[in-house]
Amino acid sequence: MPTKYRRMTTGLICALLLLPILAGLVGTLLPAFHYFPPLGENKFSFAAWQNLFSNTEFFASLKLTLITGILASIIALWLALALLAWGYEKAFFRPIENLLAPILAIPHAAIAIGLVFLLSPSGWLVRLFSPWLTGFERPPNWISVQDPYGLSLIFALVIKEMPYLLFVMLASMKSIQARDSLQACQSLGYGRFTAWRKVLIPQLYPLIRLPLFIVISFSLTVVDLALIIGPNTPSTLAVTLFRWFNDPDLAMRFNASAGAISLMLVIVFVLAGWELSHRFLAKLTRAERSNGKRRGLSDHLLSLGAMLACFSLLIGLLALVILPIWSLTKRWRFPDVFPATWTLDNLERATPLLMELTNNTLLIALVSTLLASVISLIMLEIKRVSHGSSQYTSNRPSHVFDWLIYVPILLPQIGFLFGLHVLLIHLNLNGDLIAVMMLHFLYVLPYVYLTLKNPYLAYHQAYLEQANRLKPCVWRNYLTVKLAMLKPALFTAFAIGFSVSVAQYLPTLIAGEGRYSTLTTEAVTRAASGDRKQVGSMALLQTLFPIFVFWLALVVPPRWTKWRLAFKSLFIRTTRA
Amino acid sequence: MIKSTLAVAISSALIFTSPISKADWQDTLQAAQGQTVYFNAWGGADNINQYIQWAADRIEDQYQVTLKQVKLTDTADAVNRVLAEKAAGQDKQGSIDLIWLNGENFRAMKDNQLLFGPFSQTLPNYQRYVDENARQSLTQDFGTKVDGMESPWGMAQVIFMYDTETLSTPPKSMAQLLAYAQANPGRITYPEPPQFLGSTFLKQALYELSPHRKVLSQPVDQVDFKKVTAPLWAYLDQLHPVAWRSGQNFPSGAEEMMRLLDDQEIDVALSFDVSAASVQIDQGNLPDTVRSYVFQNGTIGNTHFLAIPYNSSATAGAQVVANFLLSPEAQIHKQTPTVWGDLSVLSYDKLSASDQQKFDDLPRGIATLSIEELGQTLPEPHSSWVSALETEWRKRYAH
Repeated sequence: MPTKYRRMTTGLICALLLLPILAGLVGTLLPAFHYFPPLGENKFSFAAWQNLFSNTEFFASLKLTLITGILASIIALWLALALLAWGYEKAFFRPIENLLAPILAIPHAAIAIGLVFLLSPSGWLVRLFSPWLTGFERPPNWISVQDPYGLSLIFALVIKEMPYLLFVMLASMKSIQARDSLQACQSLGYGRFTAWRKVLIPQLYPLIRLPLFIVISFSLTVVDLALIIGPNTPSTLAVTLFRWFNDPDLAMRFNASAGAISLMLVIVFVLAGWELSHRFLAKLTRAERSNGKRRGLSDHLLSLGAMLACFSLLIGLLALVILPIWSLTKRWRFPDVFPATWTLDNLERATPLLMELTNNTLLIALVSTLLASVISLIMLEIKRVSHGSSQYTSNRPSHVFDWLIYVPILLPQIGFLFGLHVLLIHLNLNGDLIAVMMLHFLYVLPYVYLTLKNPYLAYHQAYLEQANRLKPCVWRNYLTVKLAMLKPALFTAFAIGFSVSVAQYLPTLIAGEGRYSTLTTEAVTRAASGDRKQVGSMALLQTLFPIFVFWLALVVPPRWTKWRLAFKSLFIRTTRA
Repeated sequence: MIKSTLAVAISSALIFTSPISKADWQDTLQAAQGQTVYFNAWGGADNINQYIQWAADRIEDQYQVTLKQVKLTDTADAVNRVLAEKAAGQDKQGSIDLIWLNGENFRAMKDNQLLFGPFSQTLPNYQRYVDENARQSLTQDFGTKVDGMESPWGMAQVIFMYDTETLSTPPKSMAQLLAYAQANPGRITYPEPPQFLGSTFLKQALYELSPHRKVLSQPVDQVDFKKVTAPLWAYLDQLHPVAWRSGQNFPSGAEEMMRLLDDQEIDVALSFDVSAASVQIDQGNLPDTVRSYVFQNGTIGNTHFLAIPYNSSATAGAQVVANFLLSPEAQIHKQTPTVWGDLSVLSYDKLSASDQQKFDDLPRGIATLSIEELGQTLPEPHSSWVSALETEWRKRYAH
């Protein structure tokens, strides 16, 4: 891309990202120190922090958050790597790859509801085996979901995050020339898992570090998923803060703000700890990796992980299957395996609403993702040009964008968004569709940028240079050579951005003030009321669109040229005729 | 445009100074024409949303006022929004024109001067049909004086539900409930405080268990909270080990309780909606063998209201909506069990004979109790009790 006003554009984009972030941050930081004029508080004090640290629920929530968030991230990474190592480039792996998109695209709320219905004591799994095997005429008094240890929450997080990691890994495989390394290793007699562990994973890790950090901070701060399948005595910290922010006792807002700042610090510590542990582990295992042994004990970790990953994919799929069934149900009691009475009433009743929600959802997602894609390309081009010729992925100097982009997704949404809401009101943009789109853009951009970053920077610029030498139309060449070659990455980034936008709950609610409901805000509203039939109808649609876009991202790029040529020849033929 | 804002300003100025006359109401009606009223109301129940849509259509026809429901998951969101607007100095063009609330949310808004008014006592239908002496909850919203800052919309009372197939004699007091749970572990539970039905369960239990009933109407900081609530915590300490999921989890609200009742995970559900059982049976969410009942010594009841934020840009339209929702037509439609089944706030004696007949003719679902069967209503404790009970509950059981 021919970039002229590089410095100015950089400044503009920084401002575009930083201003709302700063406003949100200040809006959270000031109340944390008891400064909030609308409540008549304009003296700074540490009262909120004292209250927070004397609150037992805060510490219990924090503990639960750390356990569930970190364990879920580790397990998701482990399973994703294991599954990739086990199946990469095998024939039977294709169907699993195709399964990823639907699971990835499903909003958290819907998947959590599906899991609750599958796993709870009156859930489908127990129904399948009752009463003929278990002897249960009535559901047992188990705690198989919302358990106090957060196991079911971890499970839900893993089901949600593992496919994302796998997706990102698959997209990065080309840049590390995995096939060649694998063949080389295998011809040297290394076992498949050993080759992955010793050669490929260490190369892959730097490429997926950023998405992994997103996974960690998501796991630590998610609200909707934890509300539905997480424990509630106590709940995770994000949910506890969410409740405090919404407490009718407005003074709780101070505690909530202080809590949000703590959560932010916790994320920083966890990420730093994660990175340090990784370096430590890498150093620790260096000798083992280069000892020349063709097999190792920890290979079994990978094969076990692959099995577990398949199992959790299967469960995720089952949870998916159940939701549409519920939208067609009239009566379905325990221990029936299938509904006793079916009906179309639920869907029929919801149709006018569903049309309106679909409209809003698609409009917001398309506009914000398109905008995010364009801005990401500009940012990446600026980054590429400013670091000139260095083509090596490992030691490329980092650009201001690389840390800037983290900020929106690392800040806990609940703390950050209330502060932002005050700014929107100042700008008279509250409850405006543009505000919703801009806020979505803020959350979509990082995912698009990070997904696009490595493929874009790993691109062999020589192709473009050669094209420019042959025919000096820089813009045209940029589009028809560089972007055309980056199609798979572009489509992937777009699909991820789109599904991120569709799944946004709090940003839509806060910027749209309920005037612009999407399929997600409506589904979460209904999920809270426990109405499985309505949630079923919503989830069905809410899932459909992202899946469709993901499917396009898989199907279109490899066929694009063929179709384009066919279209062209058709066109030429018709003009000749 | 200028004319209509002027009219609003004048009519609202008049409301403060004199009891409204017919002419003033005409001004309000005129100012309201063409306004759009953003009605922030909890949107978790389909039948209620449909009722609001019905009202919106009627209001559009009769008064040329557009009513738009903004569906909330939690009414506190709306309170926060008004607060955020005040923080931003948005004092005139607020995003909310009408809020459905009561109790703590009302107190928070009233105490922080976030409300427009007083207005309710000047609404024609209020003057014509509401008898303030009929129920304490019409003038005392959870112990907070209403002072005309909110207009009554409906009444609710706690009811219990059980399935006659699995249970022949349901527990009718807190003591019986505990005895039942001890005999049948895992089949009794209640919603998790601070969900309002969960807090209500705590208040219900407090009424039955504490020997100091009278002090409950006082602000909580004026009484010995520890002493008054000691029997409640002793009771819960006994109940939780034999409760559903061993008291480690609690349902999120009435809807989830009914789902659990349908799944036969639990034996007794509760709701603040007297017609909940009939409505859910009708929609296929509960078996038709489910029936409602109340406790021997009565259950907690309250009134829910509509309030107008101080910065609403459509105060005239909002008053027109509040007035319409107080009309016999709207209240009769609301009390129809297949529509919503929410109890009317109008005084039966003040209604015309034909409207009385219409109320008499309302069908009751098979599982809905009559007014007589609903029995005695226990008043809500002072609203300060809610957060004190919630805080203590969470301190004891949520970590």
